[in-house]
Amino acid sequence: MTHEVNSRPLPPAATTAPAAAARPSAMDRVDGGLEWLWHFISSMRVAMIIMLAIAVLGVFGSLLVQAPQAVLDDPAAKAEWLESVRPKYGGWTNVFDTVGLFQVFNSIMFRILVAALTISLIACSIHRIPGMIHTARNPRVDVGPAFFEHAPQHEAIVVRRSVEETREVVENVLRSRRYRTLSSVDGTVHIYADRFRLAPFAGLAGHLSLVVIMAGAIIGGMYGYRDSQFTLAEGQTLPVAAEPGVTIQLLDFTDRYDPTTGAPIDYASQVVLYKDGAEVLRHTVRVNDPVRYNGLSFYQAFYGAAATMSVKDDEGNVLMASEGVPLAWTTNDEGRKIGSFNIPGTPYVGWVTGTLGNGDTFIAPGQVRFELYTTGEGTLVDQKVINQGEAATIGNLTVTFERESQFTGLNIARDPGVPLIWIGSFLLFVGFVIRFTVPHKRIWGRIVSRPNGGAVVGMATLTHKDVTAGSEFEHVVNDIRTALAAPTQA
Amino acid sequence: MAKLSEYAFVASMITTGLALALYLFYAVSGLRAARMATAGGPGASTPVGLISGPRTAAIGRYASILTWLATVFLLVSLVFRAVVTGHGPFANMYEFSMAFAFGVLLTYLYFERKYHQRILALVTLPVALGMLLYAATIPADIEPLVPALQNNLLLTVHVATAIVAYGSFAIAFAASYLFLLQTRHMIPVLATTAIGVGGAALGAITGGADGDKLALTYGMVGAGASLLILAIVDWITNRGTPADELASGRWGLPKPMVLDEIGYRAVVIGFPFLTLTIILGAVWAETAWGRYWGWDPKETASLVTWLIYGAYLHARVMRGWRGNRAAWLLVIGFLATLLTYFGNLIFQGLHAYGGLS
Ligand code: HEM
Repeated sequence: MTHEVNSRPLPPAATTAPAAAARPSAMDRVDGGLEWLWHFISSMRVAMIIMLAIAVLGVFGSLLVQAPQAVLDDPAAKAEWLESVRPKYGGWTNVFDTVGLFQVFNSIMFRILVAALTISLIACSIHRIPGMIHTARNPRVDVGPAFFEHAPQHEAIVVRRSVEETREVVENVLRSRRYRTLSSVDGTVHIYADRFRLAPFAGLAGHLSLVVIMAGAIIGGMYGYRDSQFTLAEGQTLPVAAEPGVTIQLLDFTDRYDPTTGAPIDYASQVVLYKDGAEVLRHTVRVNDPVRYNGLSFYQAFYGAAATMSVKDDEGNVLMASEGVPLAWTTNDEGRKIGSFNIPGTPYVGWVTGTLGNGDTFIAPGQVRFELYTTGEGTLVDQKVINQGEAATIGNLTVTFERESQFTGLNIARDPGVPLIWIGSFLLFVGFVIRFTVPHKRIWGRIVSRPNGGAVVGMATLTHKDVTAGSEFEHVVNDIRTALAAPTQA
Repeated sequence: MAKLSEYAFVASMITTGLALALYLFYAVSGLRAARMATAGGPGASTPVGLISGPRTAAIGRYASILTWLATVFLLVSLVFRAVVTGHGPFANMYEFSMAFAFGVLLTYLYFERKYHQRILALVTLPVALGMLLYAATIPADIEPLVPALQNNLLLTVHVATAIVAYGSFAIAFAASYLFLLQTRHMIPVLATTAIGVGGAALGAITGGADGDKLALTYGMVGAGASLLILAIVDWITNRGTPADELASGRWGLPKPMVLDEIGYRAVVIGFPFLTLTIILGAVWAETAWGRYWGWDPKETASLVTWLIYGAYLHARVMRGWRGNRAAWLLVIGFLATLLTYFGNLIFQGLHAYGGLS
């Protein structure tokens, strides 16, 4: 990488000799190949190309309609889906499909690129760490004289003082500006001063945070749980599959609309959570206000009509008392709302079909149709259209349609990767902000005595002068100049 | 209040237009002076920027004052509207376009103060004005927030960070555009702009306010596509801009080196803000829909934008990519920004706002 970054080259003498060059490899071929691979994967050029390639896929992914995963898993549904988008894309439909552009983010291409980026990020960081530690811990103090003539910013000051005295003044000025100073003497005094030497590690953290985020996404994908079709009618209590012993009950669902525009304003589900039958918490779930329990989160997702039903057996025992049945399905032919429930203590399933509203002669408003099937074979036992509030005998059961009600559709999720996502996001942001706002400032100095008394101070830095704004280096040099010009004490 | 907000909006639009006219004057006056100064024969050193005679400088000052005024008007308009609606400017495209224009004006003023390159206004102010004109054509009705948008603080911050990012990217675009104008590609760049502006104008005339925006879309897409092709051609045929070319300029425009620096500074502001916008969006999506990322088209487009600027940050320090190649990434980055922004109109994702059906 260092060979590519040309904005901040190290001073000629300070270039950390590449490890590979220092010890010529014995195992030629393999080593050469590996080395090439290492260079390739940790190269910034390659990283940039991968990033741009992902961006190109992203453009397709955002401009083209993406097929839902459920559709892709089922060939028939997929064929149907392709037909539905054919009017839009015409002859391109098959091309896009073949290349995988209708499921860009699941495509092999995309996965390979993301994997490559992750590997590149890791390789890149590993590659950088030793050099970074070296620069922070034992930076090169003695740089050759040429550097003081060719560095992006450099200054020379001629003074009357002795070398030792000069050195003290220079170091004091640097320290008063909160620089750390290191020096070495070999006839010439070499000074190295820096500030914020740990700042470059923030950039490293920023890069590695992306690996943390990817890890979070992978963990979420592997160990996460999601049920985005969980329906719960008013009065109904259902077990939560992801958490044994936990049940959830819906007390009430409310939807509110703007009276003039009819735009939705609020969806609210009052729910109670039970663990082994004991209430653990109560919450009104809204669109922006999920309820969380033990790593599980419940989000408001959708809603619909339900029927509150009561069922008794032929001896008058109550099998089900005023419990809601979500009519969450829609019949294919007529578009009626329909839902089913297992009747406790019987081998039957009840199907409830709703009305289509005013003008429906088959199932009028205030009625539902009830069908009784056996659980196993699904044979129809009996069926009837029943009136609200009237007990009807169906099979050997007494069924009452108490009233119309509503159900809420919840999205239940457990994603153990989420904490990593937030940690990674935090590191990403903070890391790059520090990287951008706090530069590692480095200044080299060199003091040589002049043959006929006095000394020459050379100062240099690697940062280019900001083309329009002032430069820290200039300020430092000015301070040093002023301090050196002051009369010598005694 | 709602009326006051609208008046302030119109005042801002007019002031922005006037400011742009003054900046044009300023440029013409300054460029003429620059030409006379460089007419001294071959080898005459090119000036740092515009030669500001007293007349030019005065025009420039007035232009800046007008821009300040326009920004204040827009802020007043946004504040009044927020008071009426009770939420930040994120409920529909009208509010968000105003905020976008505000972000562009504000970041422009910041960069003008810091770098004294008024020429940047020639590219940034049209962007702001375009946003305001666009806002003027779409319904400004105040409608109740759909439940998913009822997360006032989070969304206000999400939008605020987005407009700072977009504003910075507009500056970076202006700088890179002026950079590329000074390279060999000036004619295709100008032609492409003409296609884009022409197409957009044609669309505005034929399509009308909220009628068929086809011509407008084609104009923009055409301009975008041709810029993209230019970029690729340049990437293949030119490797980095040599140092001497960076240090010299043309027509008294700011030196390429200065523009390169401004572009970088703008991205250094915009990139973290875009990062924050995306993170806040993920936090919101997690609370509202139970997933922090869902490849929703708008999410995806913002990620694309982020990747392009990320690539730019690397390109800028890579041998062979400094200068023209990196500058093209800023142009493409801004195209992606616009795609993210106007995405609502093309995508039918969860971000589909009200007020534009
Ligand atoms: C999505 C992925 C990446 C993002 C968002 C990203 C972002 C950044 C940013 C913001 C900077 C700071 C630039 C500056 O200060 O001018 C940077 C620098 C750098 N990046 Fe990346 N980067 C990514 C991937 C990579 C990869 C894969 C590599 C390894 C090849 C890499 C290597 C570097 C190097 C060497 C620097 C310069 C040193 C430094 O500034 O710390 N980056 N990157």
